[in-house]
Amino acid sequence: MQKDTLSYDSLDSRPLPKWLIDQKSGVTSFQPEEIVMKEDHSLEISFIVTGVFIILLAAFITLYLNKKHKNQVS
Amino acid sequence: MKRKFFTIILLAALISLACTTRVSEWVLLNARPNQYTLVYFHNGSVSESVKKQNQKLAEGISSSNIQFKTVSRQGIAEPYYGLYYEGRFFSKYKTVDDLRGLTSSPLREKVAAELMAGKLCVMLYLKTDNKEKDEKGLSTLRSTIESSPFGKIITVLELSRNNSEEHHFASLLLNVEDDLKDIQEPMLFGIFGRFKALEPLLGRGISEENINLMIDYFTAECSCLIKDDLPGTDILSLDQWENPQTALLNRIIDDNPTLGY
Repeated sequence: MQKDTLSYDSLDSRPLPKWLIDQKSGVTSFQPEEIVMKEDHSLEISFIVTGVFIILLAAFITLYLNKKHKNQVS
Repeated sequence: MKRKFFTIILLAALISLACTTRVSEWVLLNARPNQYTLVYFHNGSVSESVKKQNQKLAEGISSSNIQFKTVSRQGIAEPYYGLYYEGRFFSKYKTVDDLRGLTSSPLREKVAAELMAGKLCVMLYLKTDNKEKDEKGLSTLRSTIESSPFGKIITVLELSRNNSEEHHFASLLLNVEDDLKDIQEPMLFGIFGRFKALEPLLGRGISEENINLMIDYFTAECSCLIKDDLPGTDILSLDQWENPQTALLNRIIDDNPTLGY
């Protein structure tokens, strides 16, 4: 806080206390974060990844069983 | 490794706690009041009786935020006592009798008791004894406090600047800023923490908007910005700040979190 008396003509022009100026300008208060909605594709991505994983796993097991069956026949 | 991890968790918890503490509570728990200095100025020779008298005086004020010094200075016509705060001259006293009640008075005890009881702040209305001027500000203050969600945890007290029993207290308040003694207007001091008085609202400045801004300051989350640059002047009072009650503000904010912003 300014401790020295500043010169002023009338009470209306007397400088405001610093704490009041800060409060008026919002310097000492926290501004809550603005929440912005974003498009969420995580569910779609999850379905695609799971589908691809199942197809690859099924293909791998099919190929593996086919190869094993051929070996047993020969 | 485990110990380090535990320390980090503990520190993080403490930091998060510190950041959610409100200004009024943080200042009461952590900000030690600044010291006043009472100086006995003399021109070189001090009699034994005065030495004893000053020793008794120093012992009497030792439980307050003040220290006593004796200084020899040339060119002084008569010895006197000078009261200083942070290098600023506050008051001059001719005799030790003038210092009676310097560190304590009934109203200061009441203010301290309210702060220790967990109140948000004490709003002290310093009257001019001009009824018309005093009533206007006082009615604005009362209606604003009544309509504030924090009204129940704010204590409003009145004091006349000409009150003889509280003249030291009134004088300390009028020294919060250098020019207050010359302004014949009612003043509203927000007192918080360990008897810290904010620079006052005065005259037409005692408005609903400004009073609410003062309340907002006390209820704000305590940021580093505030901690590093605390406004106000510590008022001379007894050191009685151990084990304050839990801040009543916390319950209000817990019940209604939107008031916390």
